[in-house]
Amino acid sequence: MRSAAFARASANGGGQSRSLSASGRPVADSSKFGALIEFVRNLDLIQTVGLLTLVLTIIFGFDYWLFRIVSRVCLLLFVLQPRVLRRPQLWFSLALAGTISLIVEWEKIDNHKYLLDYWMWILFIVHLFAQPERQRQVILVNARFFLCLIFLAASAQKLSSPSYRSGAMFEHYLYVDGRFTAFGKLIGLDPSVGDAVKKRLMFLRSPFAEVEGNDIHIAGSDRARVAGLAMTWWDFSVQFCIGALLLIRRRRTDAIAHVLLLFFIFTTYLPAPVFGFGWILAIMGFTLAKEQFPRLAVAYVVCFFAILLYQLPWRDWVLKS
Amino acid sequence: MFCVPFVSLIVVGRQVYLNMHYGLSTWKGGGMGMFAASDDLSSRYAKVFLAQADGSRDPLVQLKSEDFEILNRALEYPTRRNFLRAARQINHDNWIPAYQRRPVLVVNADGEPVSAGAKSYRVMTPSELRSDREEKSPSMEIQFWNITYDPRTRHERAWLVETYVFSPQELSTSDAEQKNL
Repeated sequence: MRSAAFARASANGGGQSRSLSASGRPVADSSKFGALIEFVRNLDLIQTVGLLTLVLTIIFGFDYWLFRIVSRVCLLLFVLQPRVLRRPQLWFSLALAGTISLIVEWEKIDNHKYLLDYWMWILFIVHLFAQPERQRQVILVNARFFLCLIFLAASAQKLSSPSYRSGAMFEHYLYVDGRFTAFGKLIGLDPSVGDAVKKRLMFLRSPFAEVEGNDIHIAGSDRARVAGLAMTWWDFSVQFCIGALLLIRRRRTDAIAHVLLLFFIFTTYLPAPVFGFGWILAIMGFTLAKEQFPRLAVAYVVCFFAILLYQLPWRDWVLKS
Repeated sequence: MFCVPFVSLIVVGRQVYLNMHYGLSTWKGGGMGMFAASDDLSSRYAKVFLAQADGSRDPLVQLKSEDFEILNRALEYPTRRNFLRAARQINHDNWIPAYQRRPVLVVNADGEPVSAGAKSYRVMTPSELRSDREEKSPSMEIQFWNITYDPRTRHERAWLVETYVFSPQELSTSDAEQKNL
């Protein structure tokens, strides 16, 4: 139903839609992949990004009641009248509800949720412009800016953190963070190691226990140490490279940055269940790649499905196996 | 075109400032540092005590989920004001002591319990019974602790960052304020 509505909306977009999508190229080959590339190439950039963002607001939006209501009303309006996706009022209401959610619960909300709000404001501004070329320019500039900011600022913050640089952070998470238990098992870390660490840490946390010197030795494992260090430097180097390469603004460096970003999304959000962050990174990557690198844009489309699939209870399956 | 990036830079700058000077977790507040430091709730915790006028203290461990939520918010952004908000929320319950005292267990560096310490506490439980706090006027002490992990020695070390003591007056102000609202 949604795709039908989307198709209708594209048709209603008229010349604006066609001017953005008409590549003038014949289908590259008769294969299904070629058809998929052509399909992605023919998508209207602004409308596709708008739809992906609307989906994001529904499935990974703010938990605040006001935002939940506004995002669902917006979805309903879109289903009833797909052209509403091009109305700045829709994006203004979503962005405003997001901003109110942020203000009310700012110290409780994870960093990546702020990105969603920025992105909704950008879409509001995009839709204030009538000219498709201007809309395209605004969204491309902002997508590049935020990808550079996200990855370069994160790299700086990570590098300035002693617990990150030493590899202690990821090793610690492999022991104590339940989100990493299944991943730890996949790389050969026995869950009983983490359980033993958590048990000992309970002594530190309990007022009914007094640990001598407030210092406790944990029975960690060398594998966790190596994995922690590998995750640390893989994470830092990939993030820094993406930000730095996108900053250069050359076709070749952009292509490498997209490949790295796709690699980052596909691999990071398997162990780290911060799906909303992965989704918004994929939207920004798709925005930049859609016209310049249609094949990579297809990979971004696959990303969205992968992120949804990552929510399968695979962690439980791994832990039970 | 650049108004949103400009605002985002201000928010990031504010987050970095609050992180450096006020201990705001790198995970919160609009920075870019997800997975940049282990300063989230896996490394931060609080010990909450009800302190009587005679100097005795008893820990509160059976907190409700609403108490935990507001206490966790204070741990993510550990300012006195946030801990006071948590203390007031916890203080809404009528905490009554169990009859038996529970000794504090002494644990060695290998995580083995070695003895029962000289200290003991009463186990406090929230009760539906009418509060007698107006007569006793306990104050509340919240200890804010941090855990650091040293991967070379494989030691987890806890250190007391700050102890906040809230007087009965401070704790009851919120009730009065809430009545005014």
